[in-house]
Amino acid sequence: MRSLIALLACATPCFAQEPLAPEYLEETATAGLSTAYLGDWQYMVGGGAAVFDCDGDGAQDLFLSGGEGASGLYRNLSEKGGALRFEKRDSGLEMEAVTGAWPLDVDSNGIADLAVLRVGANKLMRGLGDCRFEDASDDWNFDGGDAWSTAFAATWERGADWPTLAVGNYLNRKEEAFPWGSCTANWLHRPAESGGFAPPQELLPSFCALSILFSDWGGQGFADLRVSNDREYYKGGQEQLWHIAPHEDPRLYTEAEGWKRLRIWGMGIASRDLDADGDTELFLTSMADNKLQSLAPRVEGAPLVPVYEDQAFARGATAHRPYTGGDLHPSTAWHAQFEDVNNDGLADLFVAKGNVSSMPDFAMKDPNNLLVQKADGKFAEMGDVAGVASMGNARGGALADFNRDGLMDLVVVNRWEPAQIWRNVTKGAGGFLQLSLADDGDNGNAIGAWIEVEAEGHKQRREITVGGGHGGGTLGWTHFGLGAAKSARVRVIWPDGSEGAWMDLSPGFYRVSRSGAEAQP
Amino acid sequence: MAAKGNVPQINFPGRVCNRHLSAGAALWLLIAQTFSDEDAVPLTHRINRRALLGAAAVPLLLSMPRPALAADDGTAVLADWYRLVLELVRHTATYSPPVASRSFAYLGITLHEALVGGPGGLVSLAGQVQGLTALPKPPAGLDPALVLQGAFTTAIPVLFSRTGPTGQRAMAAMAARQDKALAGRADAATDAASRAHGAAVAAHILAWAETDGGAEIENMGFPMEAAKDKLLSQWVPTSKVAVQQAPLLPYWGTVRTFVLSSGADCGLPPPPDFSEEPGSAFYNEAKEVYDTSRSLTDEQKLIARFWSDDPMLSSTPPGHWISIMLGIFARDATPIDRQAEVLALLGIAVADAFIACWDAKFKYDLVRPITYIRRLFDPKWEPLLNTPPFPEYPSGHSTQSGAAAGVLTALFGEGFGFDDATHEDDGLPVRPYASFAEAANEAAISRLYGGIHFRAAIDQGLAQGACIAAKVTQLKTREA
Repeated sequence: MRSLIALLACATPCFAQEPLAPEYLEETATAGLSTAYLGDWQYMVGGGAAVFDCDGDGAQDLFLSGGEGASGLYRNLSEKGGALRFEKRDSGLEMEAVTGAWPLDVDSNGIADLAVLRVGANKLMRGLGDCRFEDASDDWNFDGGDAWSTAFAATWERGADWPTLAVGNYLNRKEEAFPWGSCTANWLHRPAESGGFAPPQELLPSFCALSILFSDWGGQGFADLRVSNDREYYKGGQEQLWHIAPHEDPRLYTEAEGWKRLRIWGMGIASRDLDADGDTELFLTSMADNKLQSLAPRVEGAPLVPVYEDQAFARGATAHRPYTGGDLHPSTAWHAQFEDVNNDGLADLFVAKGNVSSMPDFAMKDPNNLLVQKADGKFAEMGDVAGVASMGNARGGALADFNRDGLMDLVVVNRWEPAQIWRNVTKGAGGFLQLSLADDGDNGNAIGAWIEVEAEGHKQRREITVGGGHGGGTLGWTHFGLGAAKSARVRVIWPDGSEGAWMDLSPGFYRVSRSGAEAQP
Repeated sequence: MAAKGNVPQINFPGRVCNRHLSAGAALWLLIAQTFSDEDAVPLTHRINRRALLGAAAVPLLLSMPRPALAADDGTAVLADWYRLVLELVRHTATYSPPVASRSFAYLGITLHEALVGGPGGLVSLAGQVQGLTALPKPPAGLDPALVLQGAFTTAIPVLFSRTGPTGQRAMAAMAARQDKALAGRADAATDAASRAHGAAVAAHILAWAETDGGAEIENMGFPMEAAKDKLLSQWVPTSKVAVQQAPLLPYWGTVRTFVLSSGADCGLPPPPDFSEEPGSAFYNEAKEVYDTSRSLTDEQKLIARFWSDDPMLSSTPPGHWISIMLGIFARDATPIDRQAEVLALLGIAVADAFIACWDAKFKYDLVRPITYIRRLFDPKWEPLLNTPPFPEYPSGHSTQSGAAAGVLTALFGEGFGFDDATHEDDGLPVRPYASFAEAANEAAISRLYGGIHFRAAIDQGLAQGACIAAKVTQLKTREA
């Protein structure tokens, strides 16, 4: 982060001071989603949505975690620009004890697979096409273990032909009277030389992770592993950042390397290079105040160090208390995601909210947040104005363009009640780009790539990641709002560091490979 | 556990008991059988509190060696439940240090009162502490462990009713665990009567607690409106945490005290006059904090962190002293009556300490070092510890540690050494202390090392604590 002031200098001439208020239309009753996240204590965390194209039709389909109930896969039947409609499919994913799921193409066959986290053995579900799946854990030598798994991330380490997977685990679910301090080990599943996965390495110490993310946090050309931990259960713990280097054991960043102790009820990670300066900002969800971390200004000539400033207060993104509904208790935040919901070129922020269970010191009526970024880099709460201020007991969710109209729709996974979904119907929204990366080789979705977009002097950068959030994530289309721009310059910095050529693209959908961009219907 | 065959079998009036009882339980039974119900009512129920407090100090030196009792006299029940309580304090969002001190006081008094008429000749604090009326009379033939189980299972779910689902689950699991451990130690009637008495005492204490003005905590203790129009000398928010833009529990100085006449009792002289003038007393105190922070030794850093006792990340400063005592109880196999007495007096001491401290904090409303130092010395200065979100003078940890040490020294004597393993689970080392006073002094100075208090707040806090301890130790806890 150069500084907030630098952002202002760039942003102010380009955009109106007051952002366009997004408009959403709830279509829960007609969209065909019926899965609720069910269960008691072991399902007080988790409950996410996985968004990906499971049938190759270009539309994002949807998997919803069901907790103790059956999870559900929903094929997207929405017409372009039309109402949101889904059809529940017999997919092979109707398993129980699911806390979350993240899509990725594990075996590099061009069909998205699904990593399913559970209370019990985790599963790698191989995509068979047509939204059908089978358990490939044994085939890929994936040891799903037996834990209370709650966080997932994946990356392709340089030169690897299989992904490296990280699984975050919560506490020992068999501890009853004294569960505190019983956090169980997180796992790093690296590729085996013979293909598939080697036995998992324990990432010790582990502190009850609820969100983890492989990310090139400093723009250095490689990803480390950020871990957000729930201080409710660890002892001697804190937030973590692991060095992940090929063929080396993971090791924690230390105070000597600039790492500063932070202890929060870490529940979700959203990442975005908000000011397009080459490093990522992180929104960390928690209880009461949330954190918006930005790298401290780099000292010239000094090595890059992971020293963060919390900008949540200064930028109006603490989201610490309900903004509507009359409940003034502190909030409880879970999934978070940056996306541009009004296509003005500035990343906005969705935060899912919901009481852990019935904690009276925290809000029971805790509306989800839709924090819309303003030209000055601050955020304005527009969840109520936009029509998405649900009081459901939310956990996971996703912003995704389900009806392919260039506007980011919203699905939210609720505890004990069915998921909700809203169609983005913002009038006067700007133009957009939806880009789907297709790289050569095993990492076909180009996990670890960066996309850069410039339109009318405004630059945006996005990193392609698998992980973070709470209980789920998205694979496939990457969205950029363009405001009033009629075209944008786009390039990709591929996972191996090679820089693609700049391309001039008009608004729309594109499949982008190393040879160029191909418009999609 | 007592070895089978070494424990007397005692005949209850009207029924035969062939269960194994601890020496402590046996003693209580003998006492109970000696007195009629009326006689069993402690004499202190009829003693005027004011007269008591005005009387010459009743020495509380109770440190003479006592025989260790078997674990099933109730000490195992107490140890397990208190260990859980320390966790619940850590994991319940409303449990800031003042709130924690309040619960430690009421819980300690509950135990003490539950064992009145039982082993060790404890006498009631009713009539001695503010607002506590005569408690239910203990029927004859109670089992102390079951009495405590009845008290704990009644009091703790209420005191921690606002904890989260894991805490609720843990309380239920603990109740079941103790029930299982206690099963069969007494006949059904004794079991029921013992539990019922413990529950009745707890209910009485809880009803009393409801009226003290500290029972309801909203927004984790923070007012909804941020502080405004403050002078340079006054406290202003020191963090960018949105809920901490107003000071914690500004009314806590008005909460009903236990032995103090009010929060203003044991009042303090004002801190040095606020000044930004180099060479002034106030400036020099701030300079001391700043200079110390720039030359901290590893030992000083460790001390600061050891006594940091942050809410939600520890059992808080009063919990730290409870933890110390639980360690001593385990080391010394302290008899159950002594444990209850200590926990009651320690709880009262820290609770009154926080009320008096908060009264002074909001009377003087003094700026924190971080605000002053950043304005005058170094805009980028970072203290080692996070600055707590309320006024500076006096230091809460100093006041309550001074009070705790004063009471514990009166109970156990000077030079009573111990090892403090409070933060072992969090990776901090065990620290040895030669006396309670040494620990209190270290807790107090840790706040200067941590960069969150000036010297006067530390020194005067300890003095305030000593004043409170002197009043707490006037309480009569045992038969003469």
